[in-house]
Amino acid sequence: MNKIFAVSAVVIKEIYRRKDFYVLFFLTGLITFVMWLMNFFHDDQIIRFIKEICLFLILISALIISVTTAARQIPAERESRTIFPLLAKPIARWQVMVGKFAGCWFATGFALVVFYLFFGLVSASRDHTLPVAAYFQALWLLWQMLGIVIAMTLLGSVVLSAPSANMTIIFIVTIGILYIGGFLHKVAMGMSEPSASIVTAIYYIIPHLELYNMSELIVHDWPIVPWLDVLIATIYGFAYMTFFLTGACLAFRHKPLN
Amino acid sequence: MRTPLLTMLLLLVLCFGLVAWMDPRHQARVEANVPAGQGTLAGLLGETRQTVADYFYTQADVYFHSGYYPSIFDEARKQEEQDSDVSHPEEGKSGKEEKGFMGPPLDWIDRFSRHFLPSRHTHLSGSAVGEMLPWLKLSADLDPHRIQTYIVTAYWLRQGLGKSAEAEDFVRDGLRANPHSPDLLFILGQIYLEDRKDYPRAKNIFLAAKKEWHKRDDPKPAVSKNGEETKDYLLLERILSGLVKEEEAVGNLQQALRYLEELKPDAGDPAAVQKRIDELKQKIQKKT
Amino acid sequence: MLRFAERWYNACSPAIDNNILVSNDSTPMTAVLRTENLRVEYKSRELKQQTKVALKGLNLSVQPGEVFGYLGPNGAGKTTTMNVLLGYVNATSGAAYLFDVNTREPIARQRIGYLPELTYYYKFLTAEELLRFYARIFEIPKAETEKRIDQLLKVVELEHARKRPIRTYSKGMQQRAGLAQALINNPDLLLLDEPTSGLDPLGRMKVREIIQRLKNEGKTVFFSSHELGEVETICDRVAIMHQGELKVEGRVADLVKEYQCNLEQVFLKVVGYEPEPV
Repeated sequence: MNKIFAVSAVVIKEIYRRKDFYVLFFLTGLITFVMWLMNFFHDDQIIRFIKEICLFLILISALIISVTTAARQIPAERESRTIFPLLAKPIARWQVMVGKFAGCWFATGFALVVFYLFFGLVSASRDHTLPVAAYFQALWLLWQMLGIVIAMTLLGSVVLSAPSANMTIIFIVTIGILYIGGFLHKVAMGMSEPSASIVTAIYYIIPHLELYNMSELIVHDWPIVPWLDVLIATIYGFAYMTFFLTGACLAFRHKPLN
Repeated sequence: MRTPLLTMLLLLVLCFGLVAWMDPRHQARVEANVPAGQGTLAGLLGETRQTVADYFYTQADVYFHSGYYPSIFDEARKQEEQDSDVSHPEEGKSGKEEKGFMGPPLDWIDRFSRHFLPSRHTHLSGSAVGEMLPWLKLSADLDPHRIQTYIVTAYWLRQGLGKSAEAEDFVRDGLRANPHSPDLLFILGQIYLEDRKDYPRAKNIFLAAKKEWHKRDDPKPAVSKNGEETKDYLLLERILSGLVKEEEAVGNLQQALRYLEELKPDAGDPAAVQKRIDELKQKIQKKT
Repeated sequence: MLRFAERWYNACSPAIDNNILVSNDSTPMTAVLRTENLRVEYKSRELKQQTKVALKGLNLSVQPGEVFGYLGPNGAGKTTTMNVLLGYVNATSGAAYLFDVNTREPIARQRIGYLPELTYYYKFLTAEELLRFYARIFEIPKAETEKRIDQLLKVVELEHARKRPIRTYSKGMQQRAGLAQALINNPDLLLLDEPTSGLDPLGRMKVREIIQRLKNEGKTVFFSSHELGEVETICDRVAIMHQGELKVEGRVADLVKEYQCNLEQVFLKVVGYEPEPV
């Protein structure tokens, strides 16, 4: 485990030494601030609109950070040839892969904490309440979702040659699942065979990332999700993370390093 | 080294001069072509602004229902079920589990996912209705010719938040983009009648609304080719009702009676109008 | 994993501590590095799925405490041998062992240090962070790690730049950082790939001094090089490769005596170089 954490620590250092996170945080903060300043009919109690925009920006920023970081890991190591002195140490390839995943995931988690602290400040400035449990659930679930996306991206980074192709595919797949994935079964019911079976199969196979987006509940002040359901969603997320990560480790095992 | 630098400087001066010469001509052309009320965002989006405006309008409705809102897939499924009911009326709704628009869960994933979504039909009330306003404002900015946006916004500003001044400003913005809209004139008339109690002005506005209604709707057939009513009699009824209220408020009951008589033929409920006519006649008799 | 490494290390250590050299007629000491009929074939799309044989049944052994030179022209199979020893590439047949552990196992690399020809380290890390990272992979305790980092940075003269990111280093400084990372685990076997390539004479001298000091400490050094003069000076034994085959192996002095010429000429003879008539 020490080796895995050593690799993950390097990934985290890389992320906070690059400018991506700060730029995205600044943009999120700037856009949210501009929205906060906007005056709609002299009503300074309007907050849901701002919360929705802020949460949307957080989702996009977190996706960008996680996908671009994960997509870069193995290809950058191979391109800059830092993979050679690394694998010359007593570390297995699967440990490198798991370490990369852990680094990307934890770094994204830290970024999410910062984003959500900012979000809490923004919403408390007008709401005058801070539903900590709800925000924690939203953060936790979004973090699980990003774990699945990171694992998918790492698998893609080993299977596909170009990071840009990997990133594009992952973004499209992720956004597609988030906004359409939950409805595929309904869509399939209106189709003829064999399309209906194919779409239904896809519906059951894909990781249902839309489960992890609690924006609607947060924006409109709905009660929190039962903790048992959060636990089940977490286990579901871990299952998919394990699946994609195992695929990535197996693919990386035989990948030439040049 | 000097020659490339001097050349670059010369090119820079040339570009600046070109821009300075072209800009006023371009501005004049843009102002001539761009419709009134179209802002920067609308200019950026081009023709997609109407689609985005529709989306923002729908978002306001989503906010009204606190997120509990059907997706396009739910709407499509509902339509299919309705069509199925029409073609097989004997099945009816018996045995069907209704959970709002969602229907019964299709599978375990659907059932589980409902724990992470809004699950009850609610409406915003009180000052919370203000949460819809940003979306309505943005929708109006993007598509200033969508009258419904102004009507709905003005309603919630007045009835929900008691902000009639803001409602008036907003309706006037709508009138700047749609100067001949009888709907917006009617709303403005209502504001002057009910909120400002400025009866002469309200009367003028209602009369202007009536005039615009006749200009817009009189040429239309009463029923269109596919059987839909095209004349907006409901609006005319409201305008005339507004005039009646105004005349009653200033004590000009005879004029109010004349407006009621004008209203009766096209009213949705002529009996109710007749009842009002009779009441007004009694009032007039008592007065005399 | 750590307990296994410790047990294995303790099992191996007594043999190395005794520093028994190989003799032809006595029971051979466990070789630090050993290959048995090592064969490596490459198939690639560039070669239109034809097989290129990079190593043809290589049998090699390096004894503890030796400085072993691995020579050969370009394409001889030196890099492939290194790649197999370092676990980058798996053998098609045969095997390679480091301290009697198959090189397919990551633990085989627990007691080695590797210095690549070109410096490939994380540019955003400082030298200190880089050493700390690699020390953590070797599972060296924290206190020991800090001590070694201080010592090594002093030895390679990077103390003044320890907090600066590696991307701000000159080439020489990066190579010295590379040497430090190769020594962080106090390796018993050092694998060097063209260690003096691109260095100025002063740099080369320093590398030679380091190799000599390591030898005096009982470490084993295995390096590939084209600098035959250097090899002749510091190596105990050499092996010369050509087209995937081991052509000759032995002590430098013995080879020079056998071929009646210097090492460079031995090399040229072994690889079959025919000088053009003047």
